[in-house]
Amino acid sequence: MSTEVEGQNENIIKATDVKIFPYRILKPSTTETILNQVLVLDGVLRVLINGESLPTMVNFGPAKGLPVNHTDRKTINVKGNDVPLRVSVGEIILTVQLDNLEDFVEQVDQILNDTLSFGYDIKVGVFTKNQTSVSDFMKYGEGFEEKIDSRLIGLVDPNAKSSETVRYIR
Amino acid sequence: MAYDVQYYPGESKIAENRRKHSNPDYELEILRSIADDDIVKLLSHRNPGEGYKTVHPPLDEMDFEADDMKDFVEPIDGAKKGIRIRYVQFADSMYNAPAQPYDRARSYMRRFRGVDTGTLSGRQVVEMRESDLEETSKLLIESEFFDPAKTGLRGATVHGHSLRLDENGLMFDALQRYVFDEDEGVVKYVKNQVGVELDEPISVGEPLPEDKLKEITTIYRYDNVSLRDDPEVIKVVEEVHFARTAGGYGLEVFNDDLQSKLGGN
Repeated sequence: MSTEVEGQNENIIKATDVKIFPYRILKPSTTETILNQVLVLDGVLRVLINGESLPTMVNFGPAKGLPVNHTDRKTINVKGNDVPLRVSVGEIILTVQLDNLEDFVEQVDQILNDTLSFGYDIKVGVFTKNQTSVSDFMKYGEGFEEKIDSRLIGLVDPNAKSSETVRYIR
Repeated sequence: MAYDVQYYPGESKIAENRRKHSNPDYELEILRSIADDDIVKLLSHRNPGEGYKTVHPPLDEMDFEADDMKDFVEPIDGAKKGIRIRYVQFADSMYNAPAQPYDRARSYMRRFRGVDTGTLSGRQVVEMRESDLEETSKLLIESEFFDPAKTGLRGATVHGHSLRLDENGLMFDALQRYVFDEDEGVVKYVKNQVGVELDEPISVGEPLPEDKLKEITTIYRYDNVSLRDDPEVIKVVEEVHFARTAGGYGLEVFNDDLQSKLGGN
């Protein structure tokens, strides 16, 4: 299985997803350590961080409106870029180029083995949407394919503001 | 007809633990000690030292001459004084929490008087007269019903019972009412059950070790004791299912042997 991501020169880059599924919810510091080591590897096109959403304010009950101040909702530093976490990290999906996929998975496995004190799964497959759908048209409008970075397809929740949920790391 | 109460079927330790919880004659093991005032702060219904609010005059002062029920039922202390009704709610993680909602419901109704309890998939609420509620909550938090890491005291925003634990082994809580103190190795509540910050953290002690939880849990799990390993439980569940499905709809299938199907003579 592979997704096709259009490159800048209209070349087709063959890519697929690698999902990291730790058996525990990760602390921001652990996420930071893993991401900094993984992003150094060759072939990573994008990273999707999934998890339970953490509210900034209490939404229900007598404490409604008070700040939550969850320690997992932190800004982490990935390769010198600030990435504010909005979720408690449950899984990390890496979109990587198909070349050297096996080596890449092995290296990620080694990184996780060294970092985590508990179990985890690494799966290769397609875990993000790889075709445009009605949601994308609703979010970006007609003819959007030419206007936006194709890497955003499948990465962004149609209800979220991209400026809040997407960070470019160079 | 005199008979022995059968609280729960099964031969596994899980079944045994469920029987212990439901059996009011079994004395619960007390695993930790929490001050009364701390319980009041966690429940957040009144301030420590404040009197109880009442919703009706004491029963002695009310006219119940025509009510025969007063001769049959001895009112609980809170009802006698007319104290209002308040609640406590617990969420239990699927990762071998000591109790779980159905077990709590059965146990509450067997062990305590004057309760109104509601079962949901991941949480169990119980309403009682406030003064009795505080006593009950104290017992529930100090005893083997509670594990600091796998059980959460949650009045609102309860989500988390079916999620993976965090790196310290704590159940997910979007409001982070409790944190793991890595220096002391104990769990501390920094917010009360609805999520309002406390003046001072309240320690509820060390999380129970994994092995101990596997011994005292009332949850069947594939990686501990599977429900399928307890044939008697399966048999009873099937009996109830069949009786309810076939008999519950008023079909004529049980006319002759309803009693024997349900375990009678």
